[in-house]
Amino acid sequence: MTAILESGYAFWNPIIWIIVFIVVGIIVYFFRRQGQEEYKKDTDQTRIFLCGEEVPEAGERHIRVGNIYWGFFETLKEYYNQVLRVHTGIINDYILWFVAATALSVIILLVAGLG
Amino acid sequence: MADLMTHGGILIIAIPLLAAFLTPLVGMASQRARNILVVVSLTFVAFLVFALARDISINGIHVYTLGATSPELTTPKGFIVPVRIILEVDGMSMLMAMLWSIVSLAAAIFSLSHIANETGQSRFYTLLLLMVAGGFGMMFTGDLFNLFVFLEIASISGAALIAYRTKFADTQEGGFKYIVVSAIASLMVLFAIGLLYAQYNLLNIGALAEVIQYTTADKIALALLLIAFTIKAGMVPLHLWFPDAYSVAPASITGMLVITSHACMYAAFRICFSLYGTMLDAPVVGWILIVFGLLSMFVGVTMAVFQKDVMRFMSYHAISQLGYMWIGVGVGLAVLGNADLMATYGRDAMSGGIFHILNHAMYKPLLFFTGGALFHMTGTRDLTKMGGLAHKMKWTAILYIIGTLSISGIPPLNGFSSKILIYESVYQFNAILTITGIVVSILTLASFTKAFHSAFMGAELPEYGKVREVPKSMIIGMAILAAGIVFITLFPSLVVDWAIHPAADALINQGGYIDAITGAVP
Repeated sequence: MTAILESGYAFWNPIIWIIVFIVVGIIVYFFRRQGQEEYKKDTDQTRIFLCGEEVPEAGERHIRVGNIYWGFFETLKEYYNQVLRVHTGIINDYILWFVAATALSVIILLVAGLG
Repeated sequence: MADLMTHGGILIIAIPLLAAFLTPLVGMASQRARNILVVVSLTFVAFLVFALARDISINGIHVYTLGATSPELTTPKGFIVPVRIILEVDGMSMLMAMLWSIVSLAAAIFSLSHIANETGQSRFYTLLLLMVAGGFGMMFTGDLFNLFVFLEIASISGAALIAYRTKFADTQEGGFKYIVVSAIASLMVLFAIGLLYAQYNLLNIGALAEVIQYTTADKIALALLLIAFTIKAGMVPLHLWFPDAYSVAPASITGMLVITSHACMYAAFRICFSLYGTMLDAPVVGWILIVFGLLSMFVGVTMAVFQKDVMRFMSYHAISQLGYMWIGVGVGLAVLGNADLMATYGRDAMSGGIFHILNHAMYKPLLFFTGGALFHMTGTRDLTKMGGLAHKMKWTAILYIIGTLSISGIPPLNGFSSKILIYESVYQFNAILTITGIVVSILTLASFTKAFHSAFMGAELPEYGKVREVPKSMIIGMAILAAGIVFITLFPSLVVDWAIHPAADALINQGGYIDAITGAVP
């Protein structure tokens, strides 16, 4: 079978997953069909309700990229401070890294050869 | 057809080269004819690539000697070593050529609308075709000096294409950084070639591999070649130029630049496996690749989560994904001298790494194209300014989701197929590698979800009231790559058996590579 990938320890068959997704999709569609269809569009039945508060404009209620995963960045603040310090944007620094990596590789290869 | 296959290797390089010089001439007569020329020539090249791949899968390594009475005659009469320009195309070269042909065709079609409002379009297509020729040359050449020449062709045209949209200041800075880094890397490659030539009087990789001694000068040459191709591939900590350059190029070109990074990675693998092979200190060099891979995976993805510019975000993810490939192939290299370990997990690790090159070549350009589509319609790369675009750009949103699921390794997409091969095999070598890979995959999904929410989800924003779906040619360019993803998703075993295992075996079997050159004497 061209769909079954042998990894050496197990096998992987995407067709089984696709069949499972289709079956789950059909079940979800079935439950959705049981829902209430008799609502009126563009009335209070379909408008956003925020406990009676005024709903902000679309641009104001959209959560922007800068506000997502704030806790993740706060936790890793020290890591990011160090990593961002390396990203200077200056081409001279880029070449210094290149020189350092080359020198280190030469040393590693020469020292490894001594053993 | 047999003649076409005999000369297939050189035609695949020559056709885009010829089309590159015809493009401005035809462009003076008709822009439409010029566009047709570009697309038709790349389509024909793609056909030739797949026909040659089939031929090689049946008949083995394809050798083509320029200027010889017969293309197979690698060593001229009166000579004891090959001196002519020789192309040597095996399973690994062919895999690279296949993905390069697909991506360059998709990029050309995507460009038809993407750069439709720019000036100097004929020059753009000339440079694009030159970059295509340079890329194929790097993948097919059998000698080191031509590897340098084709690397230069691809790099110079790439730098010019990055700086193509001169109306933006950051494109000039990106192009400048790219050419400086490329020039220094190329210089180091040339210096390393000089070191090898001074000792052995040879430039042909197969002939050199037969006599190389792994002297101190050879080790210095190896370090220079390895680091030069590492910086060109964009591995951490030599990646700093990568987002600066890739994020400012037209999206179609960024998609192609990803494959030039793959070509540099291919060159590094070719040097390690086919040139030095069992002569080198395999565990040490293997671990050098693995360390570069680990750093790239982790630093790449954590930097990506942090980005607010959609193209820089994609660029850092490209760096992160390159890490998987280096780890897979690095583990294979580390156990190169041990036949038992190579059979137990080394070949599978290499196959996983190489399979990930193919998968990455499909989903990463697709994601760059979707980023370009967003920029094309909104005029900004800033994710903080976007929102609700799925209402207007449904096809772009769907294609973005396909790319996202694939890059994150979500079953049943193709990204999962290659990642599972890597995870299961490298676990036997060192469990930390697999654990890091899984953590990076989770962070990849988290960051792409964040970008998707920022750009596509939410209510329609009033400032994007006039935004509509991108033109058809851009959709077609993206759909070609999405079709590739779907095909690999459905038939992973077919792809692995037909293209991936032969590619891994071509790298492992150094003797076969040498024999193809030295075995054919007049």
